[in-house]
Amino acid sequence: MDPITIGLWVTGAMFVMVVIGMRVAFAAAMAGFVGLVWLRWNGFGYNPEQFWKALTISVKIAGQVPHSKVSSQSLSLIPTFILIGYLAYYANLTKALFEAAKRWFAWVPGGLAVSTVFATAGFAAVSGASVATAAVFARIAIPEMQAVGYNKKFAAGVVAAGGTLASLIPPSAILVIYAIIVEQDVGKLLLAGFIPGAFSAVIYASLIIGIAVIWKNVGPPVTGFTWRQRFAALPPALPIVAVVVIIIFFVYNPFGEAWGTPTEGGAVGAFIVFLMALYRGMRWAELKDALIETAKLTVMIFTIIWGVLIYVRFLGFADLPGAFADWITSLHMSPMLILVCILLAYAVLGMFMDAIGMLLLTLPVVYPAVMALNGGEGVSAAESTFGMSGTMCAIWFGILVVKMAEFCLITPPIGLNCFVVAGVRPDLSVQDVFKGVAPFFLADAVTIALLVAFPAIVLYLPSLA
Amino acid sequence: MAGASAVLEDSSLLSRLDRALLPLERLMALISGLFVFSLMFLAAWSVGGRKFFGAPLMGYVDLIEMAMPFIAILGVSYVQREGGHIRMDILVGNLHGRLLWLFETISILLILLLMLALTWGAWDHFDRSFDCARPLCSRDSTIDISLPLWPAKLVVPVAFSVLCLRLLLQLVGYGRALVLGLDRPAAVPLNLSVEEQARAEAIHLEGHD
Amino acid sequence: ALEWNVSVWGKRRAFTEHIEKLAELVAQKTNGDFTMNVSYGGLSKNTDNLDGISIGAFEMAQFCAGYHPDKNRLITVLELPFLGVEDLKQEVAVSDAVYAHPAVADEMAQWNARLLMTSPMPQYNLVGTGEPRDTLDKMSGMRVRATGGLGEAFEKVGAVPTSVTSSEAYQAMESGVVDTVAFAQHAHLSFGTINEADWWTANLNPGTVNCPVVVNIDAYDALTDAQREALDSSVPEAIAFYLENYGKLLQKWDAVLAEKNVQKVEISEDELAKFRELAAAPISREWIDSMNAQGLPGQELYDLVETTLADAKAKGM
Ligand code: NA
Ligand code: NA
Repeated sequence: MDPITIGLWVTGAMFVMVVIGMRVAFAAAMAGFVGLVWLRWNGFGYNPEQFWKALTISVKIAGQVPHSKVSSQSLSLIPTFILIGYLAYYANLTKALFEAAKRWFAWVPGGLAVSTVFATAGFAAVSGASVATAAVFARIAIPEMQAVGYNKKFAAGVVAAGGTLASLIPPSAILVIYAIIVEQDVGKLLLAGFIPGAFSAVIYASLIIGIAVIWKNVGPPVTGFTWRQRFAALPPALPIVAVVVIIIFFVYNPFGEAWGTPTEGGAVGAFIVFLMALYRGMRWAELKDALIETAKLTVMIFTIIWGVLIYVRFLGFADLPGAFADWITSLHMSPMLILVCILLAYAVLGMFMDAIGMLLLTLPVVYPAVMALNGGEGVSAAESTFGMSGTMCAIWFGILVVKMAEFCLITPPIGLNCFVVAGVRPDLSVQDVFKGVAPFFLADAVTIALLVAFPAIVLYLPSLA
Repeated sequence: MAGASAVLEDSSLLSRLDRALLPLERLMALISGLFVFSLMFLAAWSVGGRKFFGAPLMGYVDLIEMAMPFIAILGVSYVQREGGHIRMDILVGNLHGRLLWLFETISILLILLLMLALTWGAWDHFDRSFDCARPLCSRDSTIDISLPLWPAKLVVPVAFSVLCLRLLLQLVGYGRALVLGLDRPAAVPLNLSVEEQARAEAIHLEGHD
Repeated sequence: ALEWNVSVWGKRRAFTEHIEKLAELVAQKTNGDFTMNVSYGGLSKNTDNLDGISIGAFEMAQFCAGYHPDKNRLITVLELPFLGVEDLKQEVAVSDAVYAHPAVADEMAQWNARLLMTSPMPQYNLVGTGEPRDTLDKMSGMRVRATGGLGEAFEKVGAVPTSVTSSEAYQAMESGVVDTVAFAQHAHLSFGTINEADWWTANLNPGTVNCPVVVNIDAYDALTDAQREALDSSVPEAIAFYLENYGKLLQKWDAVLAEKNVQKVEISEDELAKFRELAAAPISREWIDSMNAQGLPGQELYDLVETTLADAKAKGM
């Protein structure tokens, strides 16, 4: 049998295992392992005497992957980013941020909602995970908005949408995962997330102001903060600024040489937040909790990573990605249309799947195809389809798929952020939150369209570094 | 998301075995967390040493690569116990009774077979790097400061063996529920709806503020 | 028809051209009966290539001795600093001699591997920024990206070897994590360190890494006579092609230096002599003692390198 046919069967079987509820990490590893055995036994002409040999070799190939693939310096960013988020929570940074944002921005129409968006964007700078951000702000921001007469569904929608900013604005675990899978520079990808993340926040804020101006009763402004109060709210939020500055300067220093590698930047950022949490009274019991929670989330992510990489190892032997890339480039369709179709396919898949699992399962096949569509890894901007070099195309596509994955966190039926917000606020049903978040679909659609139409929004910062 | 634990306990042998294995799994997860914590100090040392003392940390990359398997793999069984590994529950979330236990049993059986194979493969990977006829028993070492790699490789089959024990318990738990037609079996993570899971996560955060 | 899987890493570059040529020649000579599928990173991580050969995951692979000295203790003799190798032909000559030594073949056989050919690399000269580090005094305190025996050599003169991966080398240099990077020319080009450089040492020649190509012994033994003949006879041709191709790259090198405005730094013979005295002898001594203590013919191999090199030089190679 043709290796590519084996690749297709195994990939189909993997999706069946995922659908019947097998844990994604193990379904992928199982598919990869069985695929390796099948491929090799196929190579031995299905000789029964050589089955044992095919099995042993495959066991050994698969058994290398967990140690071999997790032992990487750049992957160490993931646990560090997760730890920062948990420590920031114990350092009380969320409240400080919301308070500062409120005093500075609440005076505009829809002011508290705008403040919430900017505070979630700020918290995104210390949090690598969207769902955690939504959960935290659901508790702080929704009651305040309700107290001044906001529509509660709308308030919930603002928090659910604001939470999605955490994965674009660095630190972002999902961007690191993307960089690892596609073997691109982690620093450049993190840098690339900044402007689209801030851009999304500004589009959310504009949407809120627009809604508040048209429907006066949705979100009344809150005024009366003095300049003195405004400045007094800044110092407690300062560690966030410190972390942002550190991570940026470790990746790219506009004034001179960068301070170090992204790996060091992430860890030094965590160290600063740790000191802050100590100062705020964190003790061993809380630290132990934070460490165990960090370990759980880290292990969950890494299990998918090595599981999927066993499948990827099998793909390497079957050369399925090469075949898929050949097929995509042979289609008689405009490359831009193909790209849009790929993004739409992610939107559909994302309705049913977790973002990390979705990216890990699909990228090994889809990414080489997108690169081939642009003209290959080493293509120059002038000769490429999308008008950007291979490296830049990798970054641009990465930001696009991560934004798609984040979009799926607020879309029904499985918009995880909406479930979390409803879970925190017993007075809100999941349907209420989905109704409240609906206007933000529009905002996200506009953002994605602009990122596709104007790649410079994504590529400006990384092209400097 | 990880975090939503719903494992029932009773006086059965299975439940007692479940609770006996749990402290070991929790300890392994804590060690994983402590290694993450140490990464932070390692970086602070590396950057500080370089910037302020002109003495960078030798073998920084080697040390990180040694630490990563402890961070990434040691807690794998704890997460399985809590039902924290990601899955798509759109189908199983709507199943009840024997049909649900049938699907769960099939899943766990497949995972157990997979993990037995991977434990063997990971042990072999360790074994190739280990030879006590040599200095430090090392037959594979890191690039810069030549640390022996076998301890980092040994972590994997050890963590996987504990996971195999856990899977065995869960297989018995689900199998028992399938045969006896139980409603809420002990010693297996029960399927929370997404709403329940989100609420559990929210309650978890509630504790600290 | 037989297809071999070949595991290499990175992108196709001067460093892998002999493997591509070998695949081409073998297919030609056997009329397509024996082909090779060269995979760039799809089959294994580079530091696991020897493991992959050992378990039979693929039939041929390339790796570098310095990645994992404990896996291949004996061939690290070729990575000792200041052996005095002047060009790629000499590098091929000493590698071939070492690969042919029974103790070396035996150590590789423990990985089920048979040494087929080397991937000769030029000397790892430094690029750096700012004032050229052209004396030992100026090298003191210098943060240098150099691994293995080279790193040890720089340490002996007071420099600080700093570990960053080759793909992070450019950023490490840009960010001041390291002051200088030691690479072969093709790597200075492909990893972009030359773009950041102000100067390049033309004659420091501190040493290089050794990266053999190996085949799985069972797979080799299973070849038909015609296939084995095609493979063996293609090795010298593949190496000749590699040398010619790398030669072109070296010719381009001076033009690249001029274009990027990189200064070519010549270090005085006095300073070089001091460096060799401080680094070469003690590190070689340590290496020989450590091998002898493990019951391996360390002294014998070191002498073999010296005599082969002297021979090669005498023959005007
Ligand atoms: Na973030
Ligand atoms: Na969704």
